[in-house]
Amino acid sequence: MDKNLESSGERKLRCSDESKCFQLLESILDGENSQDSKEILKEKLDKCQPCFEHYHLEQAIRDVLKTKCTKQLVPSELADSIRQKIKEIE
Amino acid sequence: MSEVQRKKYSDQEKNEIFDQEFMPHIDSMYNFGYRLTFDEDDAKDLVQDTYLKAFRFINSFEQGTNAKAWLFRILKNSFINDYRKKSKQPTKIDYQEVETYYNSDDVDYGMTTDLRVESVKDMLGDEISNALNSLAVDFRTVIILCDLEGFTYEEMAKILDIPIGTVRSRLHRARNLLKEKLRSYAQNMGYDTDQED
Repeated sequence: MDKNLESSGERKLRCSDESKCFQLLESILDGENSQDSKEILKEKLDKCQPCFEHYHLEQAIRDVLKTKCTKQLVPSELADSIRQKIKEIE
Repeated sequence: MSEVQRKKYSDQEKNEIFDQEFMPHIDSMYNFGYRLTFDEDDAKDLVQDTYLKAFRFINSFEQGTNAKAWLFRILKNSFINDYRKKSKQPTKIDYQEVETYYNSDDVDYGMTTDLRVESVKDMLGDEISNALNSLAVDFRTVIILCDLEGFTYEEMAKILDIPIGTVRSRLHRARNLLKEKLRSYAQNMGYDTDQED
């Protein structure tokens, strides 16, 4: 452990296990891994720059997907047409 | 999720389930259909087929359980079995081939670090949608299910009939591919990326 990490709270610039860490961060963002996720997250984001960056980029991408992706309006006749077909089956 | 008949609903119960548990998802279903086919009429057909199948197999649906996941699974199967066969699209994606290809990428995890949070946030809805739409259907699907529809890994595993581990890895690869697309948008649009540093 480098000393300035503990003293100043600076993040380390290289992650010792990116693959494993990133996978964990991603599953936390996806709402999986809820156990202890707050502590793990705080630990990683406080201490590791690659984890910090990866987390925020992944989070931004999820946010824009959720909020900005174009939504199609359901054609108004679709529900009626489905109900009509169901009646025919019955 | 199995198609084994479990229940014997009365006609009235069937209609109740259909109206109260199935129909409220028509919006999500139509959008899923549209994002798979990119065509309004195909999406309509797919959704209609799905609802007719759902009604036909309603006895295998347990009232009060996850109707949305159940319906999505039927839609996904209809898409694979009926639509993909009919469609003139020459591209038949081989899951295995695609996954092996991206699996073999050693720099998988670090390859898109030069995409900045700010440029992602500045992107327009159309750019995000286009980037998503340009992904192969199997990768597109996991992102739609997870990020747009909010399904859990477990639900996605059931909808797609794949193990949870495969959901996780496919999702990860899908997002990396998406980041690649977004990065090239960012560069084309002159957004700031680390490449100039």
